[in-house]
Amino acid sequence: MTSTEKAVARANSRRAGILAIAWLALFMVGRLMLERSDLPTWARLAFALAPTPIFVGFLVAYVRGVRAMDELEQKIHTEALALAFWLAVLLLTTLALMQRAVGLKFEDWSYMHVWVYLPVFYFGAIAFVGARYRSTEGDQ
Amino acid sequence: MKNRLRVLRAERNWSQAELAGQLEVSRQTVNAIETGKYDPSLPLAFKVARLFGRSIESVFEYEDDFAQGDGAR
Repeated sequence: MTSTEKAVARANSRRAGILAIAWLALFMVGRLMLERSDLPTWARLAFALAPTPIFVGFLVAYVRGVRAMDELEQKIHTEALALAFWLAVLLLTTLALMQRAVGLKFEDWSYMHVWVYLPVFYFGAIAFVGARYRSTEGDQ
Repeated sequence: MKNRLRVLRAERNWSQAELAGQLEVSRQTVNAIETGKYDPSLPLAFKVARLFGRSIESVFEYEDDFAQGDGAR
């Protein structure tokens, strides 16, 4: 990678990180505010929709960041996304059945909470897939 | 796929980072290709061959069971 491409990739990763944090913060504020019943409909809609443009910005920065990566890094991220998606499906379906089988506590283990695990699966999968292409031999 | 990347690089006294810089990929990619953990795309393979002034076949060798095994059927 040229130093310019590396700088672009780093800048986009940083931007994506900042936007992800901003989106999460807005989402939490929105959730908190929507607990209140005294808000007018326009305000409820504003809180519900406010995180969306931030997430779109994150998505643009993320895609630009991935496009600036080299082919192996792109492959690692693609495999990690595939792995994270199917792990989430597995967790979702298992929780759905477990809930019917033994009645899991809805607040703690509802299948509605699976999305929280998606980033965990994604970053875990990046580490796992990346290790497959990493060698202990190093630079020689 | 086997390759002679490490040998060719050593002949020129290049580090993996230097080769990665010339190929515009990460050092991890060069390392993964050298150790056979990753097969490069066709454009990258062409780039490698051109950088060393060789044909693709003299840098990369396809390990075919048919070619290595029982021979012609």
